[in-house]
Amino acid sequence: MNAPNRFELFVLDDGEKPVEVSEDTKIPNAATFKIMKQDHTLGNMVRAYVLAMPQVLFAGYKVPHPLHPYFLLKIQTDGTVTPQVVLEQACTKLIGSLSTLEAKFKREFSFKDVEGAVTEDPYGTTGTSGQPWGSGRDYLDF
Amino acid sequence: MQGYEEAEPTVRIREVKKDRVNFVLENVDLAFANSVRRAVMADIPTIAIDIVEIEANTTVLPDEFIAHRLGMVPLVSANCEEGIRYTRDCTCLSGCQYCSIELRLDVACHENRTMEVTSNHLDVVDSHTYADEGEAGEELTKRGENFGHPVGKDDVSLPPVLICKMRKGQELKLRCIAKKGIAKEHAKWSPCSAVSFEYDPYNKLRHTTHWFETDERAEWPLSENAKEEEPPRDDEVFDFNAKPGKFYFEVETDGSLGPQEAVMRGLAELQTKLANLILGLKSPPELDMLPGGDQGMAPPNGHVAPSGGGWGQPATGGGWASPTAGGWGDAAAPTSNAWGTSPASGNAWGGGTSPNSNNAWGGASAGGGGASPNANNAWGTSSTQQGWASPTQQTNSWIH
Repeated sequence: MNAPNRFELFVLDDGEKPVEVSEDTKIPNAATFKIMKQDHTLGNMVRAYVLAMPQVLFAGYKVPHPLHPYFLLKIQTDGTVTPQVVLEQACTKLIGSLSTLEAKFKREFSFKDVEGAVTEDPYGTTGTSGQPWGSGRDYLDF
Repeated sequence: MQGYEEAEPTVRIREVKKDRVNFVLENVDLAFANSVRRAVMADIPTIAIDIVEIEANTTVLPDEFIAHRLGMVPLVSANCEEGIRYTRDCTCLSGCQYCSIELRLDVACHENRTMEVTSNHLDVVDSHTYADEGEAGEELTKRGENFGHPVGKDDVSLPPVLICKMRKGQELKLRCIAKKGIAKEHAKWSPCSAVSFEYDPYNKLRHTTHWFETDERAEWPLSENAKEEEPPRDDEVFDFNAKPGKFYFEVETDGSLGPQEAVMRGLAELQTKLANLILGLKSPPELDMLPGGDQGMAPPNGHVAPSGGGWGQPATGGGWASPTAGGWGDAAAPTSNAWGTSPASGNAWGGGTSPNSNNAWGGASAGGGGASPNANNAWGTSSTQQGWASPTQQTNSWIH
């Protein structure tokens, strides 16, 4: 009867901030991010990418309690960049990888024909000529 | 993990069938691959029966039992990203045609033998009227023909889902409301019946320990995936720095979504999560919390950022949010601008090709700019996914 809605475990409440940043008072160049309504899916992936960046000394995440729908991500950098920037770069990079992967999936799927599949690709896998951003990344070109 | 930044992730699909896809993912790290798996399993919205109103049940199964079984029946959910709203985001009070689907089941046994009530007896009620209508939307036009029907209803080759059996004189009559949801809320909303995930078939990395009597190799059968990798040599020293880099997936869907849609949606869902995280980092109140209308002022930003080499460029609030709308979603929904990637031309952006030509970019940034409260493409809001849902065209080309 008074059970909270189940979707409250993954949908942000009204006005709830998705991320809270608290800088570490004892460790230099360190911050803890409290990421609301997210779990290991995001936490572990981001952690791995942050950790892979050369400026990062430490990165770890934890879900303090399985019933509490948030995780904590702790990042310490070497001081050349702030943890916030590092996290943002990692996310941007991840989105890049995902988009690349998405494009490749799309291409692969268009090669593999299934029964009832629409073979022609409405988007054209050949890519858009003259992309305005022209960064050489091909995840936009399907 | 070292080196993956340079090497792009690659994927090789080994097999696609109507309900499954088998692929190999390379040049990614374990955390990434696992997140893909998790997203595909638990973060993709589908439709499932959520409320059951039982009018008559004289079968041997209790009401709850039947209601639970009904919830598990997979319903065709293609393009449910755009075809239906979450009830929690809808303006109606408890359910309307835009956020729910009504199904009815009315069976009675009059013959002198056991009758099977199956998912084929479930009928979608076409034009049902609810007391409270939600705000009209274009969801209905985005639905496929069989949207909300039990999977395989018109397909004799697919055996239906057995709901209950009854004998002469028994009756089952009920009304179901199917709603959109994700598997984090209840597993019935998962589009996948199984996602298999394997790496390192020879256990070279020793992420697990194989118990054995006398000979490990003789006692532990190798998986099919072992053919893809070099068997370890006997004189090979353990490389404790090695990282897994090749992942074997098999995504098997329950039919509510096709395998292609499931995988693509999973990837898109992950990107949404990341984008929201970036937005959360970027948007201390002043910029992104501007009311939607003010974002109209931002087009300069929005314009500059993408041409400057990509969505990755740190731009200020408005500029930041705008490029994402089209850039990351493999194409933003037609409603939401998109100088992205759709087929028709006539768009403001050179390379961009949006289906409806009225997508001037300026308008786009107003919609796509993070803070706009209107549900469709403000991706800061709870209805994020819709903003950069896979485009209709794309979805239509997917198979179910």
